[in-house]
Amino acid sequence: MTRGWFCWDNAALFAFIAFFSFSCSKTPAVEQGSLTMALEAGPAMIDPLKSTDAVAAKIEGLVFNGLVKRNDDFTISPDLAERWEFIADPLRAVFHLRSGVKFHDGSAFTSNDVKRAMDFILNPENASPLRSSFADVKSVEVSDDHTVIFNLNRKTAPFLSSLTLGIPKLGASNPVGTGPFRIVEIKRDDKVILERNAVYFDGAPKMSRLIIKIIPDETVRTLSLESGEVQIIMNPITPDLLPRFRENQRLKAVTSPSANYSYLGFNMEDPLAGNIAVRKAVAHAIDRQSVMSHILKGLAEPATGPISPNSGFYEGAVERYGYDPEKAKKILDEAGFPDPDGSGPTKRFTLRYSTSQNELRRRIAEVFQWQLEKVGIGLDIRSYEWGAFYADIKKGNFQIFSLTWVGVADPDILRYMFHSESMPPDGANRGRYKNAELDLLLSAGVTADGEGRRRVYSEAQKIIARDLPYVSLWRPLNVAVTDRRVREFHLSPDEGIKSLKNVYVEN
Amino acid sequence: MRAFVIRRIMTSIPSVLGVVTLVFFMIHLAPGDPVEIMLGENAAPADRAALTKQLKLDRPIFEQYLSFLRGVATLDLGESIHTKKSVAGSIAERYGATLKLALASMLFAVTLAIPLGALAAVKKDTRYDRGAMMASLVGVSMPSFWLGPMLILAFAVELKWLPVAGADDWSSIILPAVTLGSAMSAILARLTRSTMIETLGEEYIITARAKGLSGFAVIFKHALGNALLPVVTIAGLQLGALLGGAIITETIFAWPGLGRLTIQAINARDYPLTQGCVLTIALSYVAVNLLTDILYALIDPRVRLK
Repeated sequence: MTRGWFCWDNAALFAFIAFFSFSCSKTPAVEQGSLTMALEAGPAMIDPLKSTDAVAAKIEGLVFNGLVKRNDDFTISPDLAERWEFIADPLRAVFHLRSGVKFHDGSAFTSNDVKRAMDFILNPENASPLRSSFADVKSVEVSDDHTVIFNLNRKTAPFLSSLTLGIPKLGASNPVGTGPFRIVEIKRDDKVILERNAVYFDGAPKMSRLIIKIIPDETVRTLSLESGEVQIIMNPITPDLLPRFRENQRLKAVTSPSANYSYLGFNMEDPLAGNIAVRKAVAHAIDRQSVMSHILKGLAEPATGPISPNSGFYEGAVERYGYDPEKAKKILDEAGFPDPDGSGPTKRFTLRYSTSQNELRRRIAEVFQWQLEKVGIGLDIRSYEWGAFYADIKKGNFQIFSLTWVGVADPDILRYMFHSESMPPDGANRGRYKNAELDLLLSAGVTADGEGRRRVYSEAQKIIARDLPYVSLWRPLNVAVTDRRVREFHLSPDEGIKSLKNVYVEN
Repeated sequence: MRAFVIRRIMTSIPSVLGVVTLVFFMIHLAPGDPVEIMLGENAAPADRAALTKQLKLDRPIFEQYLSFLRGVATLDLGESIHTKKSVAGSIAERYGATLKLALASMLFAVTLAIPLGALAAVKKDTRYDRGAMMASLVGVSMPSFWLGPMLILAFAVELKWLPVAGADDWSSIILPAVTLGSAMSAILARLTRSTMIETLGEEYIITARAKGLSGFAVIFKHALGNALLPVVTIAGLQLGALLGGAIITETIFAWPGLGRLTIQAINARDYPLTQGCVLTIALSYVAVNLLTDILYALIDPRVRLK
């Protein structure tokens, strides 16, 4: 190679660096009245009676209304129904619907639409994924255009929550709802275009058009936001990218509490993981705060159990396990797990830690491995492809695993997580945890009411924190990054984007 | 010619059948259950059983396989488990985007590679030759997951000439086509150069030159046509691969093509859709190979389609 070529190389390199370090000071123009948001995946279908994926649920939240809605503090308030009452003998729930509500096609919304939607779900032939949520509904009837009656087997607390389900107009070829936005076009895996519903009963949205672009690659979502092509992106956002967004004068990061809960699950049938001393020692030996600050970059809050502090059912007075390696060592010594060589390389014992191939989870596992080593516990990290990992967890083929519960709203979910009759494959008591006292409380919680229900779950949370079938890690925060001029946007705890109704762009 | 085409189609049936059979059993044996993915973990056992029955997943696997083959024979690929839309319709929706991207990147690759490779051969061992070959080395070494974001950074974020991602208008195809085409163009340029050098050394070229033909006529009329034969074969194979969907490039540029659809179908354990996608990919390969052979005969009169 001649010397001349080296010169060319250098010149090209300089040009390359100069080109990429060129920073643009112009503020990109946002098309007036239109807002673009990027999501990582597209909805499989938009139909509240059939869909199960999280992306569909986000978009459905903008297009449909339920009889009731869930607020950010997990309380229930009226939506399409103005009020309701429960009547005994025979047990039924009567919902009085808001009048004057119109579907996007201009037709009136009536009690018959609710009946048709419920009949669809209750008909086993339709294989609706929601049928199990309405297991206590015998039938649905209408008494007039604005009154709908649910005949019930028993009155359960989660019944009202399940009525947040969006009511579509059945028989329409495109998804038609009553919500603040109507669907203009769905281009599968490309984009969904929504337009404002000018006659929305709860006040029309400020933006005339919403475009939801599907951009699967996180780097490209980031670049789309930085180029101004997209004005909002939301989780999953790698915490390492946050400083980059915070430095950018044109952008702002908005965090909000989530209904998600990260934990370590233990196999209670395993001789080591099933030992309470081992679980307590692990709980004291891991330094959650350092993971939250350094790896999660502050995008998480401490957690004491699955129920969020924003919920009216949260119990804060439970046993807590702060970072205390000395205490962890003492617990293990007393429980008959002495460290054979003190701070030497030989471990008291080694636990197998199963996780998925998610890069962030693997990094966190390595930090735990290092922290547990300091108290003499070895950690053998195994990361598996998602399908294989999940199948192992359900089969009970693990000692410790790490996962996150998403959308923990009604406390009845504790029954699904910990009741001894809720073991896989029909439930999610993956650690095979059994406590008769807790079983009684969780069964009572289904039908309890008011203050009684609060007491039941307060007691249940204390038992769970004491027995430690899960070691609580943290509550990941919801995070969205938006153009600085976007106002009023925040994610609801269940990662919902309903706040788009009130969003506007300041010029 | 017709007999050749028919025979080629007949001989490719076993390979297509082999591919779809392999994929059918692999996806059915992989861990993960479409019913659970659809209904969620907290579905009642009765609902789960009902859906399993409705989707005919309770039948013995061999029976499911035969019913799939019957579907293929009658051109009925069934319905996607996940979206409830017809498999053929879903594939058709995506195939256009994949075809567009494949042809655009092939056009980019060929337009760049053939002149570059031919000139490098003619100017062998000069600075031009070394420059072209170094450029092609760079081209083949840049993975699309790196090149794609770099092109976006340069042309969409900084210069704002082109859109970042999506498939909105004609300008959206440029960056994905360049990303996908550059590695291909590098391979084709190197191939063109080496076959061209070989051809330029042939006796008939020396004769042509001796007859006093102009350099231009010798290169473009006599040499290039012959040198292109292996290039056509390789380009054909690459086009076949592109028609199967370029998963990484489609993901980076949010291009709604067949590659992404296939991956989504596999992740959702959507058996009918996965099988339909794989069948389409296999058929695309067969079709492109057939076209390559026909093109080969057109370029090279010595090759006869028998």
